[in-house]
Amino acid sequence: MNIAGDFDLSAKDTHALTEAQEGLWYAQALDPANPILNTGQYLELTGPLDLPALELALRRTIAESQCLQLRFAQGPDGPRQWQEPDLARVATIDLRDHPDPQAEALARMRADSDRPLDLAHEPAAAFAIFVLGPDRHFLYERVHHLAIDGYGMVLVTNRIGEHYSAILRGAPAPAPFPPLSRADDEDAAYRASDRRTQDGEWWRARLADLPEATGPAQGRAVSAHRFLRESRWLDASLIAALGDFSDTHRLGWPDVLTGLVGAYLARFSGGQAVIGVPFMARMGRKIARVPCMAMNVLPQAVRPDEDAALQDWLAPLAAEMREARKHGLYRSEYLRRDLGLIGGTRRLYGPLVNVQPFDRPPHFEGLQVGLHILGAGAVDDLTVTFRGDPQSGILFEVDANPDLYSPADVAGHCARLPEFLAAALRHGALAPVPTASPAEIAAQDARRDAARHPVPDTTLVELIAAQIAATPDAPAVRFGDEVLSFADLDRRSATLAGRLAAMGAGPGRIVAVALERSAHLPVALLAVLRAGAGYLPLDPDHPPERIARIMAQARPVAVLTSDDLAGLFAPDAPLLRVADWPQSGTAPTGCPAPGDMAYVIFTSGSTGEPKGVVIEHRAIVNRLLWMADHYAVTPADRILQKTPATFDVSVWEFFLPMIAGAELVMAAPGAHRDPVALAQAIRRHGITVMHFVPSMLSAFLASSASQGLALRCVFCSGEELTPDQRDRFHSRIRAELHNLYGPTEAAVDVSWWPATPQDRSNPLPIGFPVWNTELCVLDDRMRPVPAGLAGNLYLGGVQLARGYLGRDDLTAERFIADPRHPGERLYAAGDLARLRDDGAVVYLGRSDHQVKLRGLRIELGEIEAAITQTGLAREAVVIARKDNGGEARLVAYVVPAPGYDPDRLALEIGAVLPAYMVPAAQVALEALPVTSNGKLDRKALPAPHFAATGRDAETPTERMLARLYAEILHLPTPPSAEGDFFALGGDSLSAVRLVQRIAEETGQDPGLGTVFEHPVLSLLAAMLDRGGQGGDGLGPLLLLADGAEEPAPLFLIHPAGGLGWGYRHLARELGGTRKVWALQHPGLDPENALPGGLDALARDYIARIRAVRPDGPWHLAGWSVGGIVAQIMAAILQDMGLPAGAVIALDSYPADVWRAEPEPDPVEALRALLAIAGYDPDAHRDLDSRAAVVAFLRQGDTALGALPERALDGVVRVVTDTNRLVRHHHHRRYDGTLIHFRAALDHKERRLVPEMWADYARKIQVIDTPFMHSGMSSPEASRLIAPHILRLLDGT
Amino acid sequence: MTLTLERMRADIAQAIDLDPSEIGDSDNLADLGLDSLRLMRLVMEWEGAGLKADFGLFAEYATLGEWWAQVVRPEGSAA
Repeated sequence: MNIAGDFDLSAKDTHALTEAQEGLWYAQALDPANPILNTGQYLELTGPLDLPALELALRRTIAESQCLQLRFAQGPDGPRQWQEPDLARVATIDLRDHPDPQAEALARMRADSDRPLDLAHEPAAAFAIFVLGPDRHFLYERVHHLAIDGYGMVLVTNRIGEHYSAILRGAPAPAPFPPLSRADDEDAAYRASDRRTQDGEWWRARLADLPEATGPAQGRAVSAHRFLRESRWLDASLIAALGDFSDTHRLGWPDVLTGLVGAYLARFSGGQAVIGVPFMARMGRKIARVPCMAMNVLPQAVRPDEDAALQDWLAPLAAEMREARKHGLYRSEYLRRDLGLIGGTRRLYGPLVNVQPFDRPPHFEGLQVGLHILGAGAVDDLTVTFRGDPQSGILFEVDANPDLYSPADVAGHCARLPEFLAAALRHGALAPVPTASPAEIAAQDARRDAARHPVPDTTLVELIAAQIAATPDAPAVRFGDEVLSFADLDRRSATLAGRLAAMGAGPGRIVAVALERSAHLPVALLAVLRAGAGYLPLDPDHPPERIARIMAQARPVAVLTSDDLAGLFAPDAPLLRVADWPQSGTAPTGCPAPGDMAYVIFTSGSTGEPKGVVIEHRAIVNRLLWMADHYAVTPADRILQKTPATFDVSVWEFFLPMIAGAELVMAAPGAHRDPVALAQAIRRHGITVMHFVPSMLSAFLASSASQGLALRCVFCSGEELTPDQRDRFHSRIRAELHNLYGPTEAAVDVSWWPATPQDRSNPLPIGFPVWNTELCVLDDRMRPVPAGLAGNLYLGGVQLARGYLGRDDLTAERFIADPRHPGERLYAAGDLARLRDDGAVVYLGRSDHQVKLRGLRIELGEIEAAITQTGLAREAVVIARKDNGGEARLVAYVVPAPGYDPDRLALEIGAVLPAYMVPAAQVALEALPVTSNGKLDRKALPAPHFAATGRDAETPTERMLARLYAEILHLPTPPSAEGDFFALGGDSLSAVRLVQRIAEETGQDPGLGTVFEHPVLSLLAAMLDRGGQGGDGLGPLLLLADGAEEPAPLFLIHPAGGLGWGYRHLARELGGTRKVWALQHPGLDPENALPGGLDALARDYIARIRAVRPDGPWHLAGWSVGGIVAQIMAAILQDMGLPAGAVIALDSYPADVWRAEPEPDPVEALRALLAIAGYDPDAHRDLDSRAAVVAFLRQGDTALGALPERALDGVVRVVTDTNRLVRHHHHRRYDGTLIHFRAALDHKERRLVPEMWADYARKIQVIDTPFMHSGMSSPEASRLIAPHILRLLDGT
Repeated sequence: MTLTLERMRADIAQAIDLDPSEIGDSDNLADLGLDSLRLMRLVMEWEGAGLKADFGLFAEYATLGEWWAQVVRPEGSAA
């Protein structure tokens, strides 16, 4: 497409684009090589076809459809269109002799549709008739979306059929289409109407509380060059149900369909969805019968009430949509701009839901006709389309952006959505309808069945006894140089068991074990089991207070411990010290039963009270026999025991070797935290099997001691294993790596995943269920979810714990009845997970690892996954911290990988996460802090620098300001004394309100400038207390951010309006170290004379900056006209032999660009004020006098409108004068680098490029930013630009 | 049976759940909630009552008064 503007339009009769076309033009201009806007379809014509008649019908249709003759090119003042009669470009292609005519025809259509068009030089439309056989033809139609929309295509296609039929019947041709000029007339009328203004206002009000628009997939929703498609015909039964429901409740079936699809999509985005609803924009308009581009997309929030009857939320939704259609001519592109939703992650709507009742196959006399849609425009996310009506059948299509969705995802939605619709209509409500389809639920059940495996109903004691009998002389336990054979283990444990039984141990009783790692420890554990009791491990490192609480709950009949540790216990505890263990005796007769308790492990409860998890023999036997079998553990293995016995991973370390005949090698006490000691132990003892918590694995891999180790199997569990850890593991260590997952409540582990060197999974799954175990992912209402959708993880099967010791209440809360398998239990793991298409489970974090910010539910795990997926961080933890303002902000803690850079990371995750999920701060750490168990220690994460702990407001003035800040900014709690008005959400309007409120409360007007200069509460209070009256914020130098004298300050030069307030966001982002000043136009004070030219103005500014900083360097930056002045100042400083610092233009272009243009009339200059105040000047064309503009500003809620009359006069004067001076200015060269931040989303109308500065600087450094010119000083832009500027300043 | 202005008003009223008295000759029907699909159904009904007119022609006009004057009556007088 020609966007260069070099096409000679002088000889053409051109006219401007309609608003409807403009949006598409800019979308295409952003990506000229993208062919996605080529809309196309073909008719499959079966039967005896009269080829000459069809050719004639086509030619007649083309001749009367003026839109098909449109050409487009960029003109000097924006895009233009004209008609170029281009009749009879109808290709007839005979493929009868081709071996596969159908495939060939489709390939040729695809080749044509995939070609970006040069709309200045070729027609927007092309048609072809493919002859496939005697009674089989394809009629191909392709038209660029700029020329036509979906309904226009229906009109054209039907018209071809009407002509054809008329020719065959010898009937008169149908009356021709009305002229295309009607589209321009309608457009002009709407542009000029009050209705347009009202519509815009209606939408802005309507969408003020629009939820963040996302689709089922996270990521940047910008149309690719192609899309994925799945389609199917809706079942007759579904169509009938839809019709019945709609008729019964007097709702339009398209509205019902749209609402129910919205409800389906809402399941993927936290219970609500913002969909885009295409609107044909023709009813009651003179373009109703004109093929043209008129359609619009209307954003529609769908927040279904799952418990209500469908009609109870569908009827109000239908009413809302009806209301929206009344305002449906206001362009969504403008709305998006009005709301500042720019860039691929800030969107007006998520998926499109497009019901096209009119899109049915056309009638061709004597032929059967099938309609196949090839492409209908951009696919940013998902486009769900229904073509046809209940009478003629409904074709359902799912088109998807391949950058966001896999073919399997698309197939999933296409198969699942009709099931969802049918089930919703059947139940009459959403609550009973699972998101997963019946087929998906069946597949999940099949996996559950596949995990069934026969396991003997026995106990650990019996399994170990069998192994002892089988290999009595084999080494069983090694601790340092001490080795126990299986026979030794048997004898020692038997005698100790006898004593324990004598102390009261037996089934259902508990024996506590508090021992350092030694050969005594496995003997003690086995002895407890042989006595029939359950063992309770106690960690000697735990505080005595915690041990006492556990003892009080568990009431053990005995405590096995050593002399050293006896002091941990109360004097009356039934201790049995190692020194007192019997040397002879026999084991008690009789064995525990499979249903008896094997061990109790206490875990932290959310309330802080430890909870004892009771695991029975049957559960742990299943786990151990699975592991022995799955990983082929044999007597040749040597298994390292290094996990504290209080952590359930130790259970398999202790007992797997005892049932498999392998050797249990006890690491030295404390070795589990020492990589060097571990590596030594592995080498020395020839360890073949061992375990790591992933964060310990990270530390181990970082140690040189781990290089080149070889083992058989390494298991990870206890935390999320990252792909980076997997890959680093395989680059250092030769061993299988396995990721296991399970809570203490389900006998150690319930799932497995081989993290092989070939595995490229990211994130790394927790995998598939172990024997006789079920992992199911259910939503908040316990309904199965499909692959890809996050839900709560529930565990089922034989490994579930009996419950919590003595806490039936907690047991009932977490171990619940399986709603789908009566009589079985599920354990609510408290984890979030999703299924992959292959059935593997992906862990997404704890479900309480979820926060709400600005009312949005945020899974912190999702952000962490996005961070590690960039490859810029090895590990990441995100938490929501409350800073001193009481506002929670997301903070990311990262362990950097090579290439880490905070800005780059922010940019990359900003590309895949919605803006509200991008952390506000990052803290790089060498390693994440861990607890003694090797798990992440969240409490030890340091505060980021912005979270300076705030003291409460103290003095009366501070307390008054805290109240006013909270009142004006709607803060839930009063801010601290360090709260920054702008950081807390203040803007210039609320700053004006603050000044007014302060004046009301104190009778003292502090002046707006004071608030800008001292937004921090305590400082502002100090100013007020001093009786200090800052300026009115209109002085020539305004301190926007305070800081030290060094490093050199930055001066931000005002844009055309003369005010520097707009830079406050940028200043806040930049501030903290250096001072940031705004230079404001002296002419804002009507007493001051206006400068004679920009050179004079620049000299004046140089004098002012030298007054506050006598010696350079002076960093200069400015937006728009401000950048022009910055360049002039830099050139003058250079002439004076003085050092400018960095010279930065925020989307400024040299004065030359405007020289040729007529001077703006006073009204145009005034209208620029509207832009400064944040309005779209084009939306207020009616404001054509100074009085009208000023009155409008006064009504509105803007800071500009709240200015005193005199100041507003000053602004008006400055705008007018500056625009004039720019036209008269001739730049001189600045022999240095000009840094240019370009508003890359803008300047499609006229080609403004940074290279225009080439003659006026030695070098131009361009940094593209994803903003419009008008948004360059917005908070979002400031956040992105500030780090760049800081680096530039610090580099000079 | 011939199509009358009052029958059209009644049919439209039924289609959009209003009382016929709420539909004035110069009210914008789209603003009252008449969408293209409901319009198509109405036109099909009226075709059943002997009207020969294009759905698109109805869609070009916004009010019942225009429909009667521009779409239906010219048709009637031509017949």
